[in-house]
Amino acid sequence: MTSLLPPPVADTPELRTLRRDVRTFVAGQVAAGAFTPDVDTWLNGFDPAFSRALAEQGWLGMTIPTEYGGHGRTFLERFVVTEELLAAGAPVAAHWIADRQAAPSLLKFGTEEQKQRFLPRITRGELFWAIGMSEPDSGSDLASVRTRAVQVDGGWRLTGTKVWTSGAHHAHAFFALARSAPLDPAHRHDGLSQFIVMLDSPGVEIRPIHSMNGAHHFNEVHFEDVFVPDDLVMGEIGQGWHQVTSELSYERSGPERFLSSYQLLAALVDAPSTGADQQIGQYVARTAALHEMSNSVASALEHHHDVSSAAAVVKVLGTALEGDVADLGDVLTEDDPGDPQLRALVTRAVMHRPGFTLRGGTSEVLRGVIARELGLR
Amino acid sequence: MTTIDTPVSIAEVDPDLIATMREVLSSSAPTPRDPDTGVEFDQALWDQLDELGLARLTGSEESGGSGAGWAESAALLTQAASLAVALPLAEHDLLAGWLLTSAGLPVDADLRSVAVLDADGSARAVPWAPVVSRIVLAWPAGDGGWRVADVPATSVKLTADTNLAGEPRGEITATLDDSEGVPVPEDLIRRLQLRAALVRAVQVAGALERTLDLVTEHVTTRVQFGRPIGKFQAVQHLVADIAAETSLARAAVDAAVRTVATPDVDLAELRFRVAVARSCAGHAASVVVRNSHQALGAIGTTLEHDLHRFTLPALAWRAEYGSTASWDRVVADSALSVGSDGLWELIAG
Repeated sequence: MTSLLPPPVADTPELRTLRRDVRTFVAGQVAAGAFTPDVDTWLNGFDPAFSRALAEQGWLGMTIPTEYGGHGRTFLERFVVTEELLAAGAPVAAHWIADRQAAPSLLKFGTEEQKQRFLPRITRGELFWAIGMSEPDSGSDLASVRTRAVQVDGGWRLTGTKVWTSGAHHAHAFFALARSAPLDPAHRHDGLSQFIVMLDSPGVEIRPIHSMNGAHHFNEVHFEDVFVPDDLVMGEIGQGWHQVTSELSYERSGPERFLSSYQLLAALVDAPSTGADQQIGQYVARTAALHEMSNSVASALEHHHDVSSAAAVVKVLGTALEGDVADLGDVLTEDDPGDPQLRALVTRAVMHRPGFTLRGGTSEVLRGVIARELGLR
Repeated sequence: MTTIDTPVSIAEVDPDLIATMREVLSSSAPTPRDPDTGVEFDQALWDQLDELGLARLTGSEESGGSGAGWAESAALLTQAASLAVALPLAEHDLLAGWLLTSAGLPVDADLRSVAVLDADGSARAVPWAPVVSRIVLAWPAGDGGWRVADVPATSVKLTADTNLAGEPRGEITATLDDSEGVPVPEDLIRRLQLRAALVRAVQVAGALERTLDLVTEHVTTRVQFGRPIGKFQAVQHLVADIAAETSLARAAVDAAVRTVATPDVDLAELRFRVAVARSCAGHAASVVVRNSHQALGAIGTTLEHDLHRFTLPALAWRAEYGSTASWDRVVADSALSVGSDGLWELIAG
């Protein structure tokens, strides 16, 4: 029988202890007024002080080896910490991309010099990162990127525009996917390269793209002949496609794909007699099952198994659940539910909901990934 | 560090054992179903399973069982469901056999089912009641406690019926005499009910996985408009959602099996995990049954095609030992009882 799922795993006693430690720490932070639990905090909860507090606990750069200033811990340990932080609705956006994406990519494809330069500062919560893949004419079809990289003496010059770049206005560095060789229609994925762009470089312009609730987390990042020295080429020239796609399972299967609206679900549990016990129960059950799935994918990733289709399953189901929770909150509450905090959570969840099933690969693209695994395409 | 030999999930069960299960069950699969009278008990296959020690997998070796655990038993139930073999495997061993042993009563190879009676001595939809030779009864005694007794099936009044998949069921009424039962704690009865509910979730997951296989095979071979229909994105999305929901059911069921296999597990913890499994498997069945029939087209609605051997049991099983809605509410009750502050610990431990 077909199963897309890796084998189930249970927390070891050590991981359980780690969970408790994070829970205790976070409860202390809430009690001290350091943050108010919220929805979608991995994209919108920008709080450098909280990121540094986590760094002091040793919970940033956890999987980075100690020789690069990291903590040399396992991927599952990092999974447990991030899952606890997201469940608590903690503001983790400042360091999120640096910790989740930049660090593993640098470890896998970066030069020794790049690792020494960036990884210790990521671990200390001092260096924030952003990622530039989408462009005005390039969304799900990433191979169509048009940002150009032209080789010059000592490096490359980049010209083009990236959009939907979360947190670029706060970030220090940026991965840019650019076309370093002309498009070959027969091999569309060739000729793409990744560059590390320091966002204070001359020729970089960062403009806000305001979300419909007025919030500013997206940006348009424009490069006008921006010089990137050779020592900031990421990985190999021409291998950009392979490099950006090889890490997708990490970002697709993580707890941020089913916990973005968890704080609202928890609030609905406390809300007096909504009359929707059955629906709430169904969503709590799905949350619990997704926790199991995400955990088993994390374990398989730790053992370097290919779990791209299982990761796609987690993301398709988890982000749909996040949206369903937002909608349930909206259906159950009135314009004045008597609890302004609940209404505020509902409003933010409803505003953010459309993004849940878009970011990091749309649900439609991911269903295609699952169908390919099943041999349909 | 302690070495744990006992597998706690199907994924850890010895592949050779699973291959043996599959081989034996395949020899008589699928169990024929007459749309009017349902399925018949396959005595020859049962005897073969009994001989191989698969009929009482989890019974102690001293009592003639095989001394295995929930994981092996879940693997057997999964194989049977995925091969459309209908037998009282769970009822005989995981439910009736376990209840007898837990109550300190002797067990043997006689075919058994189990029933939790109401105060009037009745129980409906008792699985395989028309077929078994003995039924282990549990009932609320006059003194507020519970009693268990192992009685011949002929001693109860039976109205035979079948479930949606044609499996034998029956409404039974027994004449209760508290003095004829062994007293057991209420906790044991609650655990019995949770085990029974989990058995059905295990079976649903197996049926859904096989459904996915049937659908995948069909859409990659059925050609329309000059190409296999699985090349159409609309069909791919139907199938992807079958795979996703089936995976979710599998994850929830595996977690519940791991929980029930944990010695002395807390009853509230067990109730939550079983309810999660039943909720996820129950709702997964909605999507999988709908989408699989949509993908298979008219042929999938016929008696001739195998699809009903998996979709009908999935629907029948998710409705036994509590509706899907009732299990949703059990999850909600568990959540409400701990509140938002305790909810995450309930989920993640």
